[in-house]
Amino acid sequence: MKQQNQRLEEHLIIEKPYYLPSGSEIEIALAAHKNGLPLLLKGPTGCGKTRFMQFLAWKLKLPLITVSCHDDLSTSDLVGRYLIRSGEAVWTDGPLTLAVRYGAICYLDEIVEARKDTTVVIHPLADDRRELPIEKRGELLNAPPDFMISVSYNPGYQSVLKDLKPSTRQRFVALSFDYPSPEMEAEIVLREGNVTQDIARSLVKLAGMTRSLKESGLAEGASTRLLIQTGQLLGSGIDIHTACRAALVEPLSDDPELLGALQEMVSSIF
Amino acid sequence: MRPATLTKRFYDLVAPDIPNEWDVEEVLDPFADKSDAICEAALGHVPVIWPVSHSLCYDFLRLLPEALHTLSLEQIPRWIGTTLDLYETKGLRAAQRFMQDDLKEYLSKLEGSGGLPLSVASKQLLPYIRGIARDDLRISVSRQCYTDTRTIFVPEEVNFSTNYDTNFLLYKLMLTFQWGFIACNSFLSSPNKTQDLQDFFNSFKSPLLASAIYQNLESIRVRVFLNQELPGLMKAAEKHIFDKLQDESQHPVPQSPLQLAIIANREDINSLLAKTLCNPDCKAYTEGLAAPHDSMRITELLYKDSEQGEDESLLNTFSFQGVFKLGQVVTAGKIKEQKMGEELSDLMATYLLSLSKKELAALMQEDQDKKSGNNLAESDVTMVMDSEFAGTAKQDIDAPLLVTINNQEIDLPQELEEFSKTFFKEFGHLPAKFISSAAGKAGHLMLEQDIESSSKTDPTPEGATNISYDEWDYRRQGYRKNWCTLHCKSLTPVHSSFIRNTLDKYHGLTIRLRHQFEMMRSQEHFVKRQREGDDIDFDALVESISDTKAGLPGSDRLFIRLQRDERDIAVLFLVDMSNSTSGWINTALKESLVLMAEAMEVLGDRYGIYGFSGMRRSRCEFFHVKHLNESYGDKVKERLTSIAPSEYTRMGPAIRHATKILQDVDAKARLIITLTDGKPEDYDDYKGQYAIEDTRHALLEAKTADIHPFCITIDQEAKEYMKHMYGPANYIFIDDVRKLPVRMPEIYRALTS
Ligand SMILES: Nc1ncnc2c1ncn2[C@@H]1O[C@H](COP(=O)(O)OP(=O)(O)OP(=O)(O)O)[C@@H](O)[C@H]1O
Ligand SMILES: [Mg+2]
Repeated sequence: MKQQNQRLEEHLIIEKPYYLPSGSEIEIALAAHKNGLPLLLKGPTGCGKTRFMQFLAWKLKLPLITVSCHDDLSTSDLVGRYLIRSGEAVWTDGPLTLAVRYGAICYLDEIVEARKDTTVVIHPLADDRRELPIEKRGELLNAPPDFMISVSYNPGYQSVLKDLKPSTRQRFVALSFDYPSPEMEAEIVLREGNVTQDIARSLVKLAGMTRSLKESGLAEGASTRLLIQTGQLLGSGIDIHTACRAALVEPLSDDPELLGALQEMVSSIF
Repeated sequence: MRPATLTKRFYDLVAPDIPNEWDVEEVLDPFADKSDAICEAALGHVPVIWPVSHSLCYDFLRLLPEALHTLSLEQIPRWIGTTLDLYETKGLRAAQRFMQDDLKEYLSKLEGSGGLPLSVASKQLLPYIRGIARDDLRISVSRQCYTDTRTIFVPEEVNFSTNYDTNFLLYKLMLTFQWGFIACNSFLSSPNKTQDLQDFFNSFKSPLLASAIYQNLESIRVRVFLNQELPGLMKAAEKHIFDKLQDESQHPVPQSPLQLAIIANREDINSLLAKTLCNPDCKAYTEGLAAPHDSMRITELLYKDSEQGEDESLLNTFSFQGVFKLGQVVTAGKIKEQKMGEELSDLMATYLLSLSKKELAALMQEDQDKKSGNNLAESDVTMVMDSEFAGTAKQDIDAPLLVTINNQEIDLPQELEEFSKTFFKEFGHLPAKFISSAAGKAGHLMLEQDIESSSKTDPTPEGATNISYDEWDYRRQGYRKNWCTLHCKSLTPVHSSFIRNTLDKYHGLTIRLRHQFEMMRSQEHFVKRQREGDDIDFDALVESISDTKAGLPGSDRLFIRLQRDERDIAVLFLVDMSNSTSGWINTALKESLVLMAEAMEVLGDRYGIYGFSGMRRSRCEFFHVKHLNESYGDKVKERLTSIAPSEYTRMGPAIRHATKILQDVDAKARLIITLTDGKPEDYDDYKGQYAIEDTRHALLEAKTADIHPFCITIDQEAKEYMKHMYGPANYIFIDDVRKLPVRMPEIYRALTS
């Protein structure tokens, strides 16, 4: 028990994370929590979904347990399994069970990456039953009021195959995230990337340009995260052109012509 | 070199050929008194040309002494290269003519070739300018640089410097500067206003001078704007381009301070401008506060001054500023307006036709009252922003849109309303004209249906194979035997640039699709938790041991196996060619098929494409575009292009026929993917529940034959009957036809992986 509590405490967020809201997402999420409703965050990569969850967890003073989903993720990885300790079989809670047992927030990042037979375990948790059956132990956990489940996915590059099943999707309160408005994004980059206002604005402008290249073969433009990372390189004394190249241009594409064009945008702006 | 040596060397070079002695002597004679270097050069090229053409080789030797007056020895190999290229592409005559006559021209081209051709630079420049402009601008070639706001025209080659980077920079500057005019609204905001600007220039004695003055003033605005927006580019331009332009010697004509300000270093812009403009104006320009109407006002002032002093210097512009071609801007704007309008009109007509017959008839009522004949005049359409709101709303744009057709108010779907407002923003007026033509279209279609109902003949087309199919009658829960006759025929190929244009339009998407579909080709991967396999799955093993310890039955799925996924898929695409698909829908359908075909070629799955339409049970039609095993060649492409809306949607027989085709095909998975815009409906009693039930049955028959039917429906909203007809997970509906080309390959990918 003590061990479990320790495991949980590591997930408490003590310091207030920086999060700049772009609409009423905080109010909606708080209301969802109050009513025991699960949360679905959708939006492109690096637009602040994870950060938002951290902020929410801090605000609710609840531990945040994050699971990054992948196609090898099994039900046992989420719920838990028996392990052998000094010759004895010991049950160990998985992250989901842990969160349910102690009323924490469980955040399944990129849920569509997980196989569909894995994601069904959250179904009884994500509707008004709010319960988690642990078959191997014959246990049925009822989630305390504080427990919240939230999942994220990026509709941009998912095919229908990886789309959420309607039966999964229709259990959630959905929040749609997008890159913030230019002014706000500049403020975030300024703060998080520790750059001057001028640089922040120019980086955001550059990001805007890359985001309009869908028809030219760039599926996703530069994310807020990339802008911040560029800023961080700058802070360590790398010059602006090199920083942009390494942190902003190269991560976006391998196509030499697109890279060339992106580099030209960089040299036009800076 | 002695003639005998020359001849001997020549014979050695062309061996084992033994050319005629006289010919050889004739061409080699002139070399007798030439230096060894020249002789070597001449002989050196013989082995290159001789095997290609003997007579070209003689010509070369004959013409070389003369050519060497203009060409240096080092330039000879390239000259020969060009000649041989010509020989290969255009034949001997052309090559001879080139050697004989075109030397001068060739030389002048050679000198130009230090430059940078657009063809080399454009691969980077196109995504560059699209990113900068955040708009899908195009780049095209013209002697002078200009823009019509949709396309930016630049010269075929830039030869400003011997340095590649500088030439590239100049291209960049040209494109960016032209975009600057667009971004700074120099052409004013709508085709009509642009026309007013042209009229304004025409009101001067020299419209050219007025236009040049205006353009120079606008160039200052653009310069200041770019200083702000793209400082990196402007710094580079100052250093590598403006400096050179400032160098007076480059320009025999003296330049006005106004022009010099355009290429000045940023600190000097102000002082140069102050020589021409009065104080407040000068400030407005350097601080980026001036607007196009300021430039118009100042144009008038400066024009007077320059006319008095006959100052021609204001006529000059720099190459990157290019010229203003307002006529072309107006045309491009109008084309866009027309295009958007037609899209809107198609969308609107589709919407009107989706209304119930009664509603539509009510809308059209007055038309028919007024005109007693069959002539349908344009309906009486009004479209206004609600004036009560217009006063209070922040902008006109926020005001609600009121549309009436023949005094009947109609609710526009949100998409149409937004489209109309975008139109308003762009062109300064509402697209009432197009809505009205949509009403006309819809009315016309209705009328046609009425006329057809009175004609009773069902001619059987010639040259078609006819097959009979049963049809399901839900009322008696049984089949009507041999109820429908299906005519199978090929579509007539149409030659056009449709396929190429589509590939251009979706260039980015095609690249992505190719990549994605490549990844789907047969591949190997590990599967865990198997009963047998090549390796032990340790996670599973540990879990199983632990479970056993805990008193639970341990799993025996403890192995990992390498699995090879062979794709062995055959799919038929069935395209609804009914009348209701006209306009956008048809275009989107075809575009999607083009993209699909491209992707399928990469993937290697077998696929066929057929269209269907027809009228009445006696004339259902099934059109061949591509058979399953046919290759995706020109004929297929041309047939694909010719897919066009025809008559009605009797879905049952088409699905039954596709099932029949697939039944004889051996594949791991067989699919029929139907593309339609809604309900099955034929002219006769094939509608409503009867049509739905028959289609449903046809689909069930396919499933029984182990064929997966899937339907992609383009419709405003998912309809109740869809689920019943196709079964819950066997269809997808797309509410915005423009999304179809993107969605369809995605859907296919999902279905088959
Ligand atoms: N609204 C915001 N307020 C504060 N920071 C933000 C905001 N949006 C983005 N960020 C910054 O962007 C970075 C990336 O955001 P985050 O990691 O939350 O992205 P994500 O949406 O979870 O992306 P992914 O889908 O790739 O996991 C954060 O580290 C944070 O610095
Ligand atoms: Mg994240």
